[in-house]
Amino acid sequence: MNRREFLTSTGMALVAATGGLSIAASVARAATKELRVLTWEGYADEQWVKEFEQANDATVKISYTGSVDEIFAKLLATNGDDFDVIAIETSSYKRLVEQKLLQALDLTLLPNRANLGPTFANVSSIVFDGKTYAVPFAWGSIPLIYDRKVFSEAPTSWSVFWDENYSGRVIAMDDATNAIVTTALLLGIKDPFNMSADDFAAVKAKLIDQKKYVLTYYAGFDDGVSIMAQGGVDVMMSMGEPQVQMLQKKGIDAALTIPKEGAIGWIDCWTISAGARDVPLAHKWVDFMLDKRIGNYISEKTGYGNTTDLAANEKIGLNYADRLVFLQAPEDQGKRIDLWNEVKATPAP
Amino acid sequence: MIRWSLVRLAVYGIPTLLILCPMGLFLLSSFWSMSGNKMSHSWTLANYRAFFANASYWGIYLQTIKLAGIVALFGLVSGYIVAYLIWRQRGPLRYMLLLFSVIPLAMNYIVKIYAMRGILGFNGVLNSALVWSGLLAKPSTMFVFNQTAVLIAMAVIYLPFAILPIFLSLERIPHSLVEASADLGAPPGQTFRRVVLPLSLPGSVVGGLFVMVLSLGDFLTPQMVGGSQGFTFGRAIWSQFGMAFNWPFGAALAVMLLLAIAIILIAARLLTRYRRTS
Repeated sequence: MNRREFLTSTGMALVAATGGLSIAASVARAATKELRVLTWEGYADEQWVKEFEQANDATVKISYTGSVDEIFAKLLATNGDDFDVIAIETSSYKRLVEQKLLQALDLTLLPNRANLGPTFANVSSIVFDGKTYAVPFAWGSIPLIYDRKVFSEAPTSWSVFWDENYSGRVIAMDDATNAIVTTALLLGIKDPFNMSADDFAAVKAKLIDQKKYVLTYYAGFDDGVSIMAQGGVDVMMSMGEPQVQMLQKKGIDAALTIPKEGAIGWIDCWTISAGARDVPLAHKWVDFMLDKRIGNYISEKTGYGNTTDLAANEKIGLNYADRLVFLQAPEDQGKRIDLWNEVKATPAP
Repeated sequence: MIRWSLVRLAVYGIPTLLILCPMGLFLLSSFWSMSGNKMSHSWTLANYRAFFANASYWGIYLQTIKLAGIVALFGLVSGYIVAYLIWRQRGPLRYMLLLFSVIPLAMNYIVKIYAMRGILGFNGVLNSALVWSGLLAKPSTMFVFNQTAVLIAMAVIYLPFAILPIFLSLERIPHSLVEASADLGAPPGQTFRRVVLPLSLPGSVVGGLFVMVLSLGDFLTPQMVGGSQGFTFGRAIWSQFGMAFNWPFGAALAVMLLLAIAIILIAARLLTRYRRTS
């Protein structure tokens, strides 16, 4: 996930300090219990780790990850024996549960689940066979970003990416999932994660047609910002909320909107590995992460939404969780990659 | 004895471990397949069949080879001109110029792509110059996000890789031959055509082939300056990893690319042998 690059670049110094300190703490104090955490930078900051360690007489060992691939590789290598708790995004759960790398949560040990906002209390993509495997923690979207100098009012539909008036002045991201699901939303396809052959054909035709209007497909967070900031671009299919601020810093009067068809949302959730050594302690961590104070901190620090302190979301403008379509594992990821590659290999009509 | 065999083990063992083993593994995994979300270790040719069955994959394969070929040709011609001009200099100036021409190699590749985009882009140096001189009424995006931009950017980025081998093949020409040609009454043009060019050409073509190999595997430059036409085979390989999680198919595509590179390198090898015997 490329939005991580943003966190990586901004949170690096802080993380280095956190990691170093928690290791130092673990040496100084011989605690009886140990919790091994595999997570993204910014999700396990020092102050919370310390509080957890003191409250539970435990040491917390944090490993940071840079990609979903890395999480899979690390879990597969030892069937999850190396980690107790992990934070990962909703669409990966099907694969993880099928490979038996996770264990179902004991919900009676998680009283803080009551703090979850209504949109996050019943996320279906983390429930398998009636058992819940994770708790939602942080979220964001794939919004439409536009230049306020060009649009006096926010564009209301994704169809602006097929609009003759903005031909050659729109950019989209080079990502199969985001391109296909967003186009499926525009076409009004009922379930954008379980599409029929007709749906696939319709999405493909629409995306090939889009090549007439698109200036380029950008590669990552910074790349998108750099192209739009260079000028000549009015609208972009964004990679996430932080791009707005990055553009504003570069002098573009950028703003984001969730079009009437809705937009993609992602949720990172905490889960427990199949190989967890101390399962009750792992539950304690997961429950602790649903503390409203941590939710507040996540929103203020990263600019992403949290799942417990809804007022903190409102404060940074993230009031649209109920209009998002949260990512799920698709029917056939390989088919989607092929479709996107075929679109890119086809010359513009 | 024992010490020597240890040394030999290190000399052969380390490259085997670090280079051959990973390559063998990905060759192996190209014959595996995915069943559901699990990698199945039974042998199959399905990945290669899928490559040849899907016109967009082998189509982009051929297009990428063509693109790399054109970049190599650019590299060969412009690299030859630069290398020749440097070779003609005498004294310290010659090596100063050579040093300057390869300094870009020390620069990060991503930075170079961004720099190229800064030059070719909407508010870039080129556009500003054209608008300032009145040739354009307003900035244009015609210099970036298309195939021409990919060619220009790649040719510039890979030029030092061509200059160096071409310079070396020029340097290997004994000066006495050039002098003999002049003594026998050949004007400079004829000396170049009948002595310098034939002697340096095989080495120069090898330089061009190096550029071709480098640009074959490059998926970032086309992605970043090629716009909606910037799709290359390297990117197709890349797309099979990450969320797609189809390593066997990605490995098969990588093997196909390796095959193309192997053929180019064998051609380069034959050329250098030809030079030695002639």
